[in-house]
Amino acid sequence: MPVPAIEVQSLSKRYGQIQALDSVSFSVPEGETFGYLGPNGAGKTTTIRILTGITLPTGGTARIFGHDIIRETIESRRHMGIVHETSNVYDDLTAWQNLIFTAELYHVERAGRDEWAKELLETFDLFARKDDLAHGFSKGMKRRLTLAMGLINHPRLLFMDEPTSGLDVQSNLIIRRVIRELAGEGVTVFLTTHNIEEANLTCDRVAIIDHGKIAAIDSPERLKKTIQSVQSVEVGFDRQVPEIKDGLMNIPTVNEVRKEGDKIRFFTEDPSAVLPAIIAYAEREHLRVLSLTTCGPSLEDVFIRLTGLDTENDRRPLWK
Amino acid sequence: MEMRARLRQVPLDLSAAWAIARKDMIIYYLRPNIIVSGILFPLFMFLAFAIGTIGGSAPPTGGTSEIAQLGALIPGLLAITVLFSASSIEPVSIPIERRMKTFDRLISAPISLQALVLGESISGTLYSVGIALIPLVIGVLFFGNQILSPVVLLLALFLSSLCFSSMGTLVASYPTENVGEVMSILNLIRFPLIFLSGVFIPLSSLPGWGQAVAFFSPLTYTSDLIRFGYNGASHISPILDILVLAAFIIGFQAFGNYLYRKFNE
Repeated sequence: MPVPAIEVQSLSKRYGQIQALDSVSFSVPEGETFGYLGPNGAGKTTTIRILTGITLPTGGTARIFGHDIIRETIESRRHMGIVHETSNVYDDLTAWQNLIFTAELYHVERAGRDEWAKELLETFDLFARKDDLAHGFSKGMKRRLTLAMGLINHPRLLFMDEPTSGLDVQSNLIIRRVIRELAGEGVTVFLTTHNIEEANLTCDRVAIIDHGKIAAIDSPERLKKTIQSVQSVEVGFDRQVPEIKDGLMNIPTVNEVRKEGDKIRFFTEDPSAVLPAIIAYAEREHLRVLSLTTCGPSLEDVFIRLTGLDTENDRRPLWK
Repeated sequence: MEMRARLRQVPLDLSAAWAIARKDMIIYYLRPNIIVSGILFPLFMFLAFAIGTIGGSAPPTGGTSEIAQLGALIPGLLAITVLFSASSIEPVSIPIERRMKTFDRLISAPISLQALVLGESISGTLYSVGIALIPLVIGVLFFGNQILSPVVLLLALFLSSLCFSSMGTLVASYPTENVGEVMSILNLIRFPLIFLSGVFIPLSSLPGWGQAVAFFSPLTYTSDLIRFGYNGASHISPILDILVLAAFIIGFQAFGNYLYRKFNE
């Protein structure tokens, strides 16, 4: 049986009175892209800090390719690359110096090192700026350089903490392409993100963590199936129709109606029963339907449902 | 880690320590707060003692002319230069790296904490040796200083620089992102050392309790070994000076290693 890239058992971390992680267990096979989702303060960064040997757990075990992260910290780290949450590049070093310094920290052999560094800078569209101090780089460029530094040692396992958070489109596209290519090359990726759609598109499996506990682990599609009740019909009319709310509220099987931009979304367990009622309503009110889409539950719906955000925030019906 | 794995790690750690030291050299050597703390402060300290000496308010330090009197202060200037310059890099660089989160990069690399502590200390050591050469050369060229044993003097500079940079690295383990906090702690240690280590005031002139305290100060052994390098005279013993400085280095490195691990938990 192949050794998993990450194997975590009953991992706990307590900071004084705060239980940051509460007996978390999961396993990530080699080659998988694993998403780790959770609201702020759920325990995502604590998990990464323990798995990379920066922080010691107060209970449980974590193994990286079979090596205990506490007792065999250095051996465990040899296999990993880390893209920290902050773009922690050295502002007073050039892009090239940042890469080579990281290569030296990770004992990358000199033979082939410079070629690989050059290739990484080209991949991340930074080669033209290789001799510039990182101080003058944009947020996106620093993020790309951070990712290049995380790959300089050809890691078998890459930890990425919020890799695309707040980035420009170009940087997002480059980073997502690289994640896809890494998956194609068999590199295991452990990804924490707030961007649920990103996890949906890139991850083989996701874990949803809340208040230090794993709420669910599965593939995005299987997780969505667990909440089939959260289906919806999204309609775009040819004009704003705030006065129609009374009519919309009375459509049978609709649980909730929300205005989302210039569209209206009807949450229902049975979209087919809702469609005729919407069309009839549009005819009666002389409205033209510009677009009509039925949507399954999104990973975001799963996330909201499992983390209880729906009871805390805006799951209250707008008109019902 | 088993013994064979530990041995395999040694050259890798040394190489990583050197990489960390080189990185610090590029980034921090010319930072204004390091220049003030590492170069200007010992210079002003020297000038204060020099003015006092020429004005006759300081204890006699030997020599007849004012030039000779100033020349006699050079060993003391060397000692405090080493103390201040060697211990100035890490208390500035490490809090800054904590704030910029680049410190996470160092503590998550496949290197031991010893390599990290050593690498940080090496940058302070080389900085200090380089800076100390300035008063040394000035003393020889302009104040007629004679150096009886250059090898001992260089050894004194190197060992003392490593000792005080290790001390700076140890103090910088205090888990803060604020340079001022670390410097405050460091200055609480550095300033008393100047007056209790026979740097400008000979040990024999100190009261009994002062002499007793002086033996717990690494600067005492630095000062004694530097004077031996200049004129062959030693209040303690050059061998003992070397051994005690080596013991302080090992102690600071080991304690620093422990504190970085402890504060990281």
